[in-house]
Amino acid sequence: MAKPKELLEDKPGKEILLLANEAIARGVLEAGVRLVALYPGTPSSEIGNNLTIMAPHIPNFYFEFSTNEKVALEVAGAAAVAGVRSMMVCKGPGLNVAADPFFSLTYVGVRGGMVIVVADDPSMWSSQNENDSRYYALMGNMPMMEPADPIEAKSMLLEAYKLSEKLELPVLFRTTTRVNHTRAPVKFEKILSRPDKVVFEKDPFRFVPIPSVARKRHPWLLGQIELARELSEKSTLNFVTGEGNLGIITCGVSYNYVIESLSSMDIKAEVLKLGITHPIPEKMITDFLRRHKQVLVVEELEPFLETHARRLAHLNKVTVEILGKEQKFFSRTYEYSPRIVMDALKAVTTRNTPINWEEIDKKVQELPEIPPRPPLLCAGCPHRTTYYAIKAATRGKAIYPSDIGCYTLSIAPPLETADILFDMGSSITTACGLAEVTDQDIVASIGDSTFFASGLPGIVNAVYNQHRICVVVLDNRTTAMTGHQPHPGTGLTGMQKEVPPLDIEEVCRGLGVKYVKTVQPFESMASLVAEVREMVKWARENHLPAVLVSKEACALLTAADRRRTGESPPKYYVDSEICNACKRCLNRLSCPAMYMDPETEQAVIDETLCNLCGTCVSVCPQGAIKREDV
Amino acid sequence: MAGNNSNTINIAITGVGGQGVLTLAEILAKAALQCGFNVRVGEIHGMAQRGGHVVCTVRIGENAKGPIIDPGSAHLLVGFEPIETLREIQLVKQGGCVLISSHVQYPVAVSMGQAKYPDHEEIIKTINKYTDKIIEFDALELAVKAGSSRSLNMVMLGAIIGTGLAPITEEAAIDVVSTAFPQKFEKINIDATKLGFEMAEACKK
Repeated sequence: MAKPKELLEDKPGKEILLLANEAIARGVLEAGVRLVALYPGTPSSEIGNNLTIMAPHIPNFYFEFSTNEKVALEVAGAAAVAGVRSMMVCKGPGLNVAADPFFSLTYVGVRGGMVIVVADDPSMWSSQNENDSRYYALMGNMPMMEPADPIEAKSMLLEAYKLSEKLELPVLFRTTTRVNHTRAPVKFEKILSRPDKVVFEKDPFRFVPIPSVARKRHPWLLGQIELARELSEKSTLNFVTGEGNLGIITCGVSYNYVIESLSSMDIKAEVLKLGITHPIPEKMITDFLRRHKQVLVVEELEPFLETHARRLAHLNKVTVEILGKEQKFFSRTYEYSPRIVMDALKAVTTRNTPINWEEIDKKVQELPEIPPRPPLLCAGCPHRTTYYAIKAATRGKAIYPSDIGCYTLSIAPPLETADILFDMGSSITTACGLAEVTDQDIVASIGDSTFFASGLPGIVNAVYNQHRICVVVLDNRTTAMTGHQPHPGTGLTGMQKEVPPLDIEEVCRGLGVKYVKTVQPFESMASLVAEVREMVKWARENHLPAVLVSKEACALLTAADRRRTGESPPKYYVDSEICNACKRCLNRLSCPAMYMDPETEQAVIDETLCNLCGTCVSVCPQGAIKREDV
Repeated sequence: MAGNNSNTINIAITGVGGQGVLTLAEILAKAALQCGFNVRVGEIHGMAQRGGHVVCTVRIGENAKGPIIDPGSAHLLVGFEPIETLREIQLVKQGGCVLISSHVQYPVAVSMGQAKYPDHEEIIKTINKYTDKIIEFDALELAVKAGSSRSLNMVMLGAIIGTGLAPITEEAAIDVVSTAFPQKFEKINIDATKLGFEMAEACKK
């Protein structure tokens, strides 16, 4: 990672290697943004990770990890209404959480510039869907920009704030994983100062969209979008490059693949690259369509620009063949690559690709079978221990609603404790639904950060409607999956300020949960199993929700602490005199730090990977796993 | 127009989440930038630290625009682990080079007896179908010799420079390494880089 300290340097002209997410964090300084609010979500995580470290060193700047995306958008939206520049950041599914304020914001508009960064995830590297968030811009009438790389991620962001202020509307800044997580040399520009406090000028008949207000604001909004379209026609963010009979319309990361592919295949084409993808420059696109007999549209996911192009061709009676997803030149799933673009260009132009990929694909079929290596819970992860106990206590027979976080990885054998998942917080609410229509025991699990983000309404629902569900809160003291951000249970804010943490057990009691206990999973496996069993029995007998908080810090944090302090606790090992090669530890725990010695067939602990949780000790029926000091 | 792969060196790095693949990619790219080259790095985050298969790309040169390396386009494939190297072998171009650390990290499916780890001989034989330029050594052993198993990625960095395929000097690499880690780990990481460099140079001969 580029160091957050480097991002603070006021050295215009300096060029450093940055992820697009780091470039956006730097852009916050260069655009003079006063407030940023977000809930972490990969692939957008590093924006917040950098800003939280930078925040205390930036004068007149406020950053927060909000409780969830809806909260973040409201916090940032209000700041922009008050008249300062603000930003909200989320991943694709996060914008769904924030959809409600999203649609109101365009009606009321903003006074200071506002940008909503949304990071979509084609190929679903770390998301539950690959929804194309661009339709939000269309549906909500919010201007939208799509950068193609880390360089544009910063330069376009500065333009987004200018556009936002001209139109008094937030701008949707849509990235994709391959933009967010690409590194490139990025040049610094000068840092803008931010105002300290502003006065909130009241204007309720603009900012309170009661029906009579909203009815006036909707035509205003549509008028602003027409104004935006004129700006889009003239903007240098929409430009044409190259020349040739073939026309190509593209945006975002695909632009890079187009340029690389044309060069590799030595094809001449005129490329229309759109940086502003809502509202699109209709005249510019129509003229472009008129200049060509064939136009290929290259964009990941949905045929967003393609449909627009077809609409404009029809509307303006342009005779042009528009080639894209409708004719299966491209897929609506997964991210693209130069190869995918070259394959389409081959089909369109009959030019050959520089590499014979069919041959390579055939050769891959001949590879020996390679054992899979999916992501899994880390060595020493407290979730593994808790899930082992949940499964043992319920004999694998309960229903296990899961939630969004590292712990969803418990779907894999041998833990197999994830049965149903919709979205953030759905473990508790799906449990409520299942409790009413089944007779099975239900043990839901939810992480600490997710609990605060979206779990609370589910708990209230379960208490008030008396659902007989069990909820295990996997409290690993952080938001682990997205890179260890703090949350309301940790006692640290986005400004790096220490504050009293909210206690999950107390919160549950406050909401009316009658059965709440906290356990430390590494203390004793026997008592952990007994606790789960007791909770399940109580919920069944009392027909009410029960909560068990399993509290133990994330293994990665513990390991980092040990490296920092130089502390090295005793190691664990398998006593080969006692181990009878039953493989129970390997088969039931699936700890990545354990493997089977191919010769003796005994279990071995790889001490370079072991995080010293000691769970395997209690899983071994022979007592063959020992700690060095015992 | 020149092909996009002219003037561009494509390096694909593959391994297991937690081995330091991302850090290596960033340091390598920083060193390339320091040597005056345009560069792009493609990373995968989120699940990357969770013990799964990871691939990163480093593209050095004027025509590198996007982060992706297509099958058959990598001048150098760097594998932190034998089967993870095999998993991405289709990326290597004809006559390209494969750099492998021979230390095995068994996937859970193998530990649970649900899958078989291929023989070492079979792995090498398969890689040979793609290229005969293979540099293989136990990078973990060198990392431990340097002072920490966690410096494995810097052993691989040194080895990449040692192949002579990346337009990066050993001095530039060490310069970046020395500022990349907390001071108490600086010497270990520099030593690891040097050991990797010497090993790859020796293997080349």
